[in-house]
Amino acid sequence: MKNLKFCKRCLYASTHPLGISIDQEGICSGCRIHEEKDSLDWNERFEKLRKLVEPYKSKNGDKYDCIVPVSGGQDSFYIVHLVKEVLGLNPLLVTYNKYYNTPLGINNLANLRIKFNCSILYQNVNPVSVKKITRSTLHRFGSIYWPILAGHTVFPVQTAVSYQVPLIIWGAHQGLEQVGMFSHSHEVEMTRRYRKDHDLMGLEADDLISVFDTLTENDIWQYRYPDDDQLQKIGVRGIYLGNYVRWDPKAQHEEMIEKYQYKTSRFNRTFDCYDYVDCFNYMDLHDLLKLHKHGYSKVTDHACREIRHGRISREHGLELVKKYEIQPIEFEKNILEWLGITKISLDFILNRHRNKEFWNEVDIGRWEFNGLSALQPSSSNEQRMQKNINFTENASLSLNLEKEYIIFGKGFP
Amino acid sequence: MIKKRIIGVVTVKNGWAVQSFGYKRYLPLGKPECLIENLDRWGADEIFIQVIDRSNSNLGPDFELLEKVSRLRLETPLIYGGGIRNISDAIQVIKTGADRISLDSTYRKMPDNIKVISETLGAQAIIISTPMSFDSGMLGVYDYQKLEISLDIDSTRDIINSGIVSEMLVIDYKNEGYKNSFNRQIIDGLMIKKKGSVIAFGGITEDEQVNSLLNLDIVSAVAIGNSLSYREHAIQMIKKNIENKTLVRKPIFQSLLK
Amino acid sequence: MKKISIGIVDYGMGNHSSIVNSLRGLGLRVKVSNQKIELDTVDVILLPGVGAFGLAMENIIKLGLDDYIKNAVNHDKPLIGICLGMQLMTESSSEHGFTNGLELIPGKIISFPNNQSHIGWNGINLKKSSSSWLNESDRTVYFNHSYYYDGPDLYKAAITHHAFPFASIIKHKNLIGLQFHPEKSQVTGKIILKKIITSLLDD
Repeated sequence: MKNLKFCKRCLYASTHPLGISIDQEGICSGCRIHEEKDSLDWNERFEKLRKLVEPYKSKNGDKYDCIVPVSGGQDSFYIVHLVKEVLGLNPLLVTYNKYYNTPLGINNLANLRIKFNCSILYQNVNPVSVKKITRSTLHRFGSIYWPILAGHTVFPVQTAVSYQVPLIIWGAHQGLEQVGMFSHSHEVEMTRRYRKDHDLMGLEADDLISVFDTLTENDIWQYRYPDDDQLQKIGVRGIYLGNYVRWDPKAQHEEMIEKYQYKTSRFNRTFDCYDYVDCFNYMDLHDLLKLHKHGYSKVTDHACREIRHGRISREHGLELVKKYEIQPIEFEKNILEWLGITKISLDFILNRHRNKEFWNEVDIGRWEFNGLSALQPSSSNEQRMQKNINFTENASLSLNLEKEYIIFGKGFP
Repeated sequence: MIKKRIIGVVTVKNGWAVQSFGYKRYLPLGKPECLIENLDRWGADEIFIQVIDRSNSNLGPDFELLEKVSRLRLETPLIYGGGIRNISDAIQVIKTGADRISLDSTYRKMPDNIKVISETLGAQAIIISTPMSFDSGMLGVYDYQKLEISLDIDSTRDIINSGIVSEMLVIDYKNEGYKNSFNRQIIDGLMIKKKGSVIAFGGITEDEQVNSLLNLDIVSAVAIGNSLSYREHAIQMIKKNIENKTLVRKPIFQSLLK
Repeated sequence: MKKISIGIVDYGMGNHSSIVNSLRGLGLRVKVSNQKIELDTVDVILLPGVGAFGLAMENIIKLGLDDYIKNAVNHDKPLIGICLGMQLMTESSSEHGFTNGLELIPGKIISFPNNQSHIGWNGINLKKSSSSWLNESDRTVYFNHSYYYDGPDLYKAAITHHAFPFASIIKHKNLIGLQFHPEKSQVTGKIILKKIITSLLDD
């Protein structure tokens, strides 16, 4: 591959889909920005955050101070903990129903609202439309996540407008954390542009109708971003806690496991047990599609994160990546049934989206993977580090129930 | 009276929209079309597409990008700069959708060409882009290809005063990308008489800077890059906070679906 | 209502996609052409333009479009001129030497003094008092020119202030010339285009 470069510190390649720059010393922008986590005065930054949210606090306690988008996984417990218990705000939680819900995720989400004693709004978009969109984007773009990303990023904004609660509080900014798109000091806020560009592959709701004949206004209107004048009237503003708090997902999740019994699970395709436990597909088919299209998968993101936090070496990270990225998916049956497509169709789509840079068809229907992990400069033949990476697994995705999506769960203690 | 302008800059390197710091360091932002379309929605007074890796590789202008952009159905004036080598490039850039062009190293190497371009497209369509610095009491122009600073400002002044080009983009290249750091001394040291002929760019992030620069007679516009990507409605917020409300166009908050 | 069609005269200068998109966005049918047969079929002719007067007239004459346009106008075909297109509708211009225009509206095009160009957003003040078509608060549109119309006040439909007041819109019978770029003037520009086309066809 032309001009392919790798970061010397983490495992990212110059082909990173969010864009990445590698400097003259061979260190990527993600690692450079990560250095700020050890050089910034986080006490000072937290005080800045306190001052920032202060004007949004309701005087009489009769209004919500902010909106917090949550799910049954992914930092939600820590975010609500910071917002409610440390900053003393009164949040309205909102969650977008992804339909691929694991019993564990439903349980975590119920636990979240009960333990923190919060009000929560659920958005459920009519599933026929969601399936239509998902089938179309799966075929054309190899993605089963558009509605989820669109819903997760727009529902809080729509709620801010309809409930007239201007402040939305997010956790970490993905562009900053992965590729150092911004410095913490830029104090980047939520923008419609970032959502369209990076969350939605350049396609907003209205673009879907022009791209796909099968989709209509009826299918997509719920994913439409509010107009600028509505946002301005309410003063809608989305901030990221990661700009003011030294963001460390592993440490944060472990604190939440201890304090609030956050439940975790093992995965086939990664060593991390904390992220994405609420979804049957994120670490499954969605992850496989990522491997096909980009030559690497989520385990690389996890490894880079842990390398940067100094918990594993680059070599150990690469080992983990090579081990986990080729593992099979476990929940194919569920997605086939839910989408109403056959295994043959899915295999056809999976093959269609194999990036030829990383996949060679050695025989009909047989593919050889030559992904980014294989193209990495060969590491030294050091003695393998068998150190345990220490992620606590205290439950399972299905919670010993059927391995079926909980389309709509009322939760249980 | 004519309004002063807030110009949104999209810097493009390797096909990516990037944040640029001091002409040395770059951070990714995303697809240029997404940033450009966003500035259009925000009602930027002009959008400047600055492609920075064309001149060095003699690739000519990025027509592919311009074609992509013309399909976006923008309603905002576009300035294009990057890789324009001669009159034919200049004409083609306008034909592909730009309203005005920015010339940098080209004009210094071939001063005759610039007259021809001006006669064909009109002085109003041409901006000369000059990275400058003010050190030890001396104003300099930076040549980013030779990596040297020249103290010869006269030829630049002449071109502006002659009316061959309409405006000069004065770039504080050292402070570019950094907060609140545009060096006012560069503007003060220019000594150009022609009113409204300077666009200030580089390290302009704060409302106070925008206010004080736009109040100068020789400044017709400020151009802002990186920091526009840090928050929603960045252009509108700047306009809202201008002290003299009649100096700039009102901020726009679209309520019509395009 | 039958869909109104606009014919954009393509004489080889500048880019038409913005004006095409703006007009289509208003629900109009748009053709871009230098063929008389095609321009015959449209309801309104639009003369766009960016660049130099002399070269534009040269191209138009080469294509035989000068006579065509004069003839169409004589037969009451509505004509809109934008920026250079507006300037071409007048008697002459002194840009880089003297050049005759299409002579459809009395008046000439001369340069702003002291090499001043007029670039950016400026207000237009319509002479007609019953002009409620623009919101009081925003009548700014985008200008990008170094030459302006100098002619009888009778033909000036809107005034703009730069170094001195000059005509930003000129009008004569079925002809309207806009010195600014409505297709680059965001929402205001769209409103103006719509109103102009409606008023041209109502008259």
